Amino acid sequence: MNFICNFPFFSILLSLFSGTICSVLPAKAAKIVNRVVIIVIGLMSAVLLLYLLSTGESFIYWMGHFPAPWGNEIRAGVLEAGMALFFCIIMYLSMAGGAHKLPGEVVESKHNLYYILVNLLLSSLLALVYTNDMFTAYVFVEINTISACGLIMIRQVGRTIEAAVRYMIMSLLGSGLLLFGLCIMYDLTGHLLMSNIKESVGLIMANGEYQIPLIVSVALMCIGLCIKSALFPFHAWLPDAYGYSTVSSAAILSSLVSKGYIFLLIKIIYRVIGFDIFNSTRIIDVLFVFGLMGMIFGSLSAIKENDIRRMIAFSSVAQIGYIYMGFGMGTQAGMVASIFHILSHAATKSLLFIAAIGLTDVSGGSRKFADLTGAAYRNKWAGAAFTVGSLSMVGIPLFSGFISKLLFAQAAVQVEGKMLASLIVLGISTVLNAVYFMKTVIRIYTSKADTPYTSITFRDRKAYTVTLVCFILLNIILGVSSQPVVDMIGQGLAMFA
Amino acid sequence: MGPNLFTNYGEAVSAILFCIGFTNLLLQTNLIKKIIGLNIMDSAIYLFLAEKGYIAGRVAPIVVNGVTSTERYINPIPSGLVLTGIVVSVSVTALMLSLTIRLYTRYHTLDLDEISTQLKKEGK
Amino acid sequence: MYFILLPIFFPILAGLFLLIHYRTPLSGEKKNAGRKSLLLLTGCFLVITAVFVVIALFCEGEGFILFYLTKDLPIYFRIDNVGRLFSALAVIVIPCAGFFSFEYMKHEEREGRYYGFYLLVFGVLNALCFSGNLITFYLFFELLTMSSMPLVLHSGSKEAVMAGLKYLFYSLCGAYAALFGIYFLYRNCDSLTFTVDGALRASAITEHGTFLLAVAFIMLLGFGVKAGMFPMHAWLPTAHPVAPAPASAVLSALIVKAGVLAVIRVLGMFGRDFLKGTWVQTAWLCLTLITVFMGSLLAYREPVLKKRLAYSTVSQLSYILFGLAVMDETAFVGSFLHILAHGFIKAALFLCAGAIIYKTGKTRVEEMRGIGKEMPVTMWCFTIASLGLIGIPPTGGFLSKWYLALGSLNSGIPVFDVLGPVILLVSALLTAGYLLPLSIHGFFPGAAYDYGSLRKREPCKLMTVPISILTALSVLVGIFPHLIIAVIHMAAAGR
Repeated sequence: MNFICNFPFFSILLSLFSGTICSVLPAKAAKIVNRVVIIVIGLMSAVLLLYLLSTGESFIYWMGHFPAPWGNEIRAGVLEAGMALFFCIIMYLSMAGGAHKLPGEVVESKHNLYYILVNLLLSSLLALVYTNDMFTAYVFVEINTISACGLIMIRQVGRTIEAAVRYMIMSLLGSGLLLFGLCIMYDLTGHLLMSNIKESVGLIMANGEYQIPLIVSVALMCIGLCIKSALFPFHAWLPDAYGYSTVSSAAILSSLVSKGYIFLLIKIIYRVIGFDIFNSTRIIDVLFVFGLMGMIFGSLSAIKENDIRRMIAFSSVAQIGYIYMGFGMGTQAGMVASIFHILSHAATKSLLFIAAIGLTDVSGGSRKFADLTGAAYRNKWAGAAFTVGSLSMVGIPLFSGFISKLLFAQAAVQVEGKMLASLIVLGISTVLNAVYFMKTVIRIYTSKADTPYTSITFRDRKAYTVTLVCFILLNIILGVSSQPVVDMIGQGLAMFA
Repeated sequence: MGPNLFTNYGEAVSAILFCIGFTNLLLQTNLIKKIIGLNIMDSAIYLFLAEKGYIAGRVAPIVVNGVTSTERYINPIPSGLVLTGIVVSVSVTALMLSLTIRLYTRYHTLDLDEISTQLKKEGK
Repeated sequence: MYFILLPIFFPILAGLFLLIHYRTPLSGEKKNAGRKSLLLLTGCFLVITAVFVVIALFCEGEGFILFYLTKDLPIYFRIDNVGRLFSALAVIVIPCAGFFSFEYMKHEEREGRYYGFYLLVFGVLNALCFSGNLITFYLFFELLTMSSMPLVLHSGSKEAVMAGLKYLFYSLCGAYAALFGIYFLYRNCDSLTFTVDGALRASAITEHGTFLLAVAFIMLLGFGVKAGMFPMHAWLPTAHPVAPAPASAVLSALIVKAGVLAVIRVLGMFGRDFLKGTWVQTAWLCLTLITVFMGSLLAYREPVLKKRLAYSTVSQLSYILFGLAVMDETAFVGSFLHILAHGFIKAALFLCAGAIIYKTGKTRVEEMRGIGKEMPVTMWCFTIASLGLIGIPPTGGFLSKWYLALGSLNSGIPVFDVLGPVILLVSALLTAGYLLPLSIHGFFPGAAYDYGSLRKREPCKLMTVPISILTALSVLVGIFPHLIIAVIHMAAAGR
């Protein structure tokens, strides 16, 4: 076995370990360790991705050399490695973009705690991406929840603690359901490793016995993960959690944490239940309907919002709806579109959060639209970045959002029964997105004669501006040369089966 | 369904307990009651696992007297899962309790809805 | 062949340069110096781009693929005669209105932003004309909305912002409806490259014929939004009056024509044979005729000059769409002539209205009594352009309407072949009704007019010369149409 095959395991362990180290380091050192670890893991994922692309097949890594079905396994394919790389990029940029705000948001003595949580979050995300074992997945789901909760509440104001509590409650409901579904699945199949479960599931479906418990278990797992990723009716905790936590936390939470759960769901669909069996259940119809509702109601809530960060948070609800709509179509093309949207949304949403903080900074810290008038002139790069993010969200060609819209529509056209519903809702949602995002863009570019606020230029915030530029480039790259990414997603999904 | 329910009464009980815990966690406004609900929910799952993992008349998989037949022993993995699960749920409970304490010292109430109204009044 | 990238990307880059370089508003003493360099730069950019476009017009070739958006969606540029006609119109109107704005925008804030987006619009319009397939077209169609919206809301007043948003939402709704259709075309065509005789697979027509008709209708409606077709015309009368006059001229003469261009392309993609005689054609004819009549009627009742002109645009654009809907070669020629004639005329009219507002501050028609005595050149141009719009020989407007009516009568579509020309005629009368009183009262203010307060208020050359050029061209189109008609026939044949 090639040395590179150790990389998934190394990356999980490295981030876990660095989290532990950070607790004894001073804040500054912890920050450096955190950055270095993210970069190293990103590089390892990139190397792994190249390796997998060159070999063209996935591999399974035995933890502690216990063979299946007893041991614990890690599995890496193109999709997993790509996701890990992408998560690292977004995480690094989010951390870099929010770093200058950290001293004002978090008490000095808790800075290294912050980096512990970030490292822990990264490790749990990586574990969710790579693991081949359902129970390990559950454990890391809980670790993910705990560290995400920590990231929300580390900024100690009333709102964030309340948001953290609400987040915890919803998450625990979700993981409770996930665990229960998992146990039923274990009971039915006698396995915990994904590939073994899949074989048994195939047998069960072929025999025709115990189908109802199987579907119940799948449904429980799906609902659990839907709750955790804030699909429409379960999104009540989201705006406060994203709206009031620190900038980096908001960016990471919105673009990565929910996506980790969604990725786990994709793995469950493909590797545990099997794509065809999953599509033959009615669960996809439920996901489809809730996805569509989320697309509309999320946007409607965002329109009503008068607080820029809560508005962006509500827009996440709509975007998660897109992803579930893609699942609900029940085709390979829908799945590819959803996965591309995971990437595109992650890149855009973190950009928006980071840019929004630049705008509120030059408006006396206020997030109300009335105060944001003309903010783009006071902080030009943030204004430009916010505009790019908005255009991408609305789905203007050349930006990543357009490609995902295109992929969704192309997928929808192939599904007879769901074509009209998805295309119409896609259209409505596009227009609604345009309503609130373009309203904001126009607002920040409306000049106001006498503002009491000072401007911020490139020289004041070099790191921040560079981050914004990177984000903009990422968006445009995803929008202009999407084909390699889409091919890679297709290849990765093929490896799943 | 009737006879099935009776023979599988362990599973039935754990499912009912799970529902009780779930509803409590979702619907109670008092934070402590929510946490109790959480624990009931988790325990129900462990009950389910333990019930499934135990087969009457068999013993723990520790080889005694050289009997290696699989008929004699139970599968140890469910018990292992229960243990792991308990660890997770303890840590989560601890986190929830600490959050509750924070909220209580700030707002002097355990009622989540009331905390929300107070927060709205603060207007931040 | 790669040369046609220049007229597209040069103005876009130049516009971005202006946007970045003049991002802070000029004020105080620096304003004059800064303004001078800004105008100099803009002027140079406009002239250079115009030269590029003119050279590009004579390029021949197969076109080329710039890059692939996704695997089978290339960004493809090509020059054909339809594009040539449109960009010929653009290359005259945009610099004229641009030089006009040098004077008009003198007292406005943030001129850098205005000229930046103005150049962006120029580049994007060129790109639209030179697009070779539907996806490229759609890309620049969206960009056109995005780059022209700042022109609409330039003043930044609440009314302007609301108008800009309205424009944006109507356009986005329309563009989405069009995109909706593109998905289906993508599935049912071998490629999205423009043709004139239908790109649908024969098997697709037999299998999903009914459905594809619905798709065609939705696409026509969607692109029709930009062209102000009933029932989605409401953005036009809101957006035009609040924009600065030169921007309205460009909006009315060119940007709404992008919708027409889109309709021509879509028509080519589906093929006339596919749509002829179907319910789509009937419904489309109905909509255009309703728009023609309703637009004129609303214009007739409208007291604010620029808004009146905007309603007139709604009506006149549907003349063009009507000509396309008839799907007859002669009517097609009429449509194209009207595109050119209306482009010159409406630009001239809006610039006149702008000159009047700039010099007198009057916006309502009844205030403009005696205006012809104060601003004779402007008003003469206004009058000549008005005559063109009504369709009095020998102006371009006459010729185009003549062809439209002829084509309609030849087409043999039941009811509409006669109803069409009748409505066009009634609308022409209404046009006379809403435009001529301005000239009549302008030159003959009546006995009650106080000649003592009369002052010469003719605007400077920067304003009058562009107006005169546009007016002259609108007449010339009618006097020397042979070359244009020859090109149109070639365009209709798909060369």
